[in-house]
Amino acid sequence: MTTNWTVRAIRDAVNSGSATAASIVDEALSRIEKKDGEIGAFLEVFADDARKAAKDVDARHAAGEKSLPLAGVPIAIKDNMLLMGHVASAGSKMLADYRAAYTATVVARLQVAGAIIIGRTNMDEFAMGSSTETSAFQKTKNPLDVTKTPGGSSGGSAAAVAADMVPAALGSDTGGSVRQPASLCGIVGMKPTYGRVSRYGIVALASSLDQVSPFTKNVEDAAIVLSVIEGKDPLDATSVVLDEPVAADLSLSLQGVRVGVPREYFIDGMDEDVATCVRSNIEKLRGAGAEIVDISLPLSPYALAAYYIIQPAEASSNLSRFDGMRYGNRGEGAIEESYRSARGAGFGAETKRRIMLGTFILSAGYYDAYYKKAIAVRAALKTEFDQAFARVDVIVSPTSPVVAWDVGAKMNDPVAMYLADIFTVAANITGIPGISVPCGTAHGLPVGLQILGKNFDDNKVLQVAAAFEALNVKA
Amino acid sequence: MDIDINRLATLAKLQLTDAEKEMLARQLPDILEYINKLQEVDTSGVDAKAYLTDAVNVLREDVVTSTRNERDAVVAAFPKQVGGTMEVPGVFAE
Repeated sequence: MTTNWTVRAIRDAVNSGSATAASIVDEALSRIEKKDGEIGAFLEVFADDARKAAKDVDARHAAGEKSLPLAGVPIAIKDNMLLMGHVASAGSKMLADYRAAYTATVVARLQVAGAIIIGRTNMDEFAMGSSTETSAFQKTKNPLDVTKTPGGSSGGSAAAVAADMVPAALGSDTGGSVRQPASLCGIVGMKPTYGRVSRYGIVALASSLDQVSPFTKNVEDAAIVLSVIEGKDPLDATSVVLDEPVAADLSLSLQGVRVGVPREYFIDGMDEDVATCVRSNIEKLRGAGAEIVDISLPLSPYALAAYYIIQPAEASSNLSRFDGMRYGNRGEGAIEESYRSARGAGFGAETKRRIMLGTFILSAGYYDAYYKKAIAVRAALKTEFDQAFARVDVIVSPTSPVVAWDVGAKMNDPVAMYLADIFTVAANITGIPGISVPCGTAHGLPVGLQILGKNFDDNKVLQVAAAFEALNVKA
Repeated sequence: MDIDINRLATLAKLQLTDAEKEMLARQLPDILEYINKLQEVDTSGVDAKAYLTDAVNVLREDVVTSTRNERDAVVAAFPKQVGGTMEVPGVFAE
């Protein structure tokens, strides 16, 4: 294998005829075979279907299709994305045997573009978690240090890319579930603006927050994958017709770009070495000509609290469909008891915790105090970001307050686990795009720089991220 | 804060073991204490809505687009089927 293991290099090699999709898929399968025993990124590898799909792509090439945007690119999908005929379990015992009856829009778009769906990756149960440890099936290790978690909830997809098993993978980001594991695994993770990418065929966690997001090794590859999956889908009413699709050319001079640094994103209790690493990267941006602007987002300390109201509220509603009638195993006894026993047996501890929390928040007498308050704070936070983006082009911060932690370390302390999302949730609450780009190390483990942009200004986020990445390559 | 775990479990249609109830009785107040800090924020005069988009009543033609294969696959995924449909327990007691 002489081709660079990136989306761009593989795509170009297959389109030019210097490699076949079949040979690329064999390479990916052998990498997974070699590495995944130790890492545990995949719940299932679709070896036969992947080989068949590769032959199809090679046949399309022979028939004259020589500019497929993802020709022969092996891509892993998170276990909450449907591919017809394959199991999609969302990391839950409840769906352990569920076979998808249709294919998610994003997955179908990848296939049309020539990508090969190589397998499904481990995740926190129903995407609830920040370390991929609430999966009902297995633990995933951080490829950079197997005693650490890869982050979560899309930890399997992050680890598969970080270990160079695949050049790209899809995750879903509801509160940071792509940006945070990207940061902890030292790769790129890009959450698009809410509405940019279809959610059709994704097992819903919190419908007003979920957004499908790519993991890649570099910013250009993230843009390539995003350009394939983005755009209006008649099957998702919240997806929108885009005025500005992802730009083919990401080049941008940092000269004069206004970069906001919110003082609330360097908080007490965050890892000092992480803060130092991020600050030194902000100086690099300044050195490259960016105008660093000190800004304040006073509601930031409340974003996580609002998130842990809105998300469990929506999750408890979305998960009510798992009743043992349509999915999972039928419970015992008459109908009411049957619901209770099917749900009691099918859901794990974190899922039960959030269903109970969401049920409490939405129950009579508490709805106004919690849910209505949270959506009011959400609206106020959005106004605050809008005002900030009147003064700056992008906002930068650490992606995570800490580097990857030991497997098991936070499993018995939900609040400590939730705090891992403190810098990422605001983008989901307000809908804005955000990317995590590797920016160095602390304690020998990767640190990510988060770059946020205004609604549907995903191109600016990608461009600044690409320019930042180029600084580090040069350095 | 006092939380009635049994009542919540009934509302959520969730069977819980005694150990799970005991754990939730300890953890939920901690989480609520954390999210309660929202009460410090003055939100009077904020126009709040649950969704971020301005879209309202997004409509499409009511036409069947799924295939027979998809329908069969949906039915095949049900925990219990009878005659190509979902089998459910009786809703009314005899």
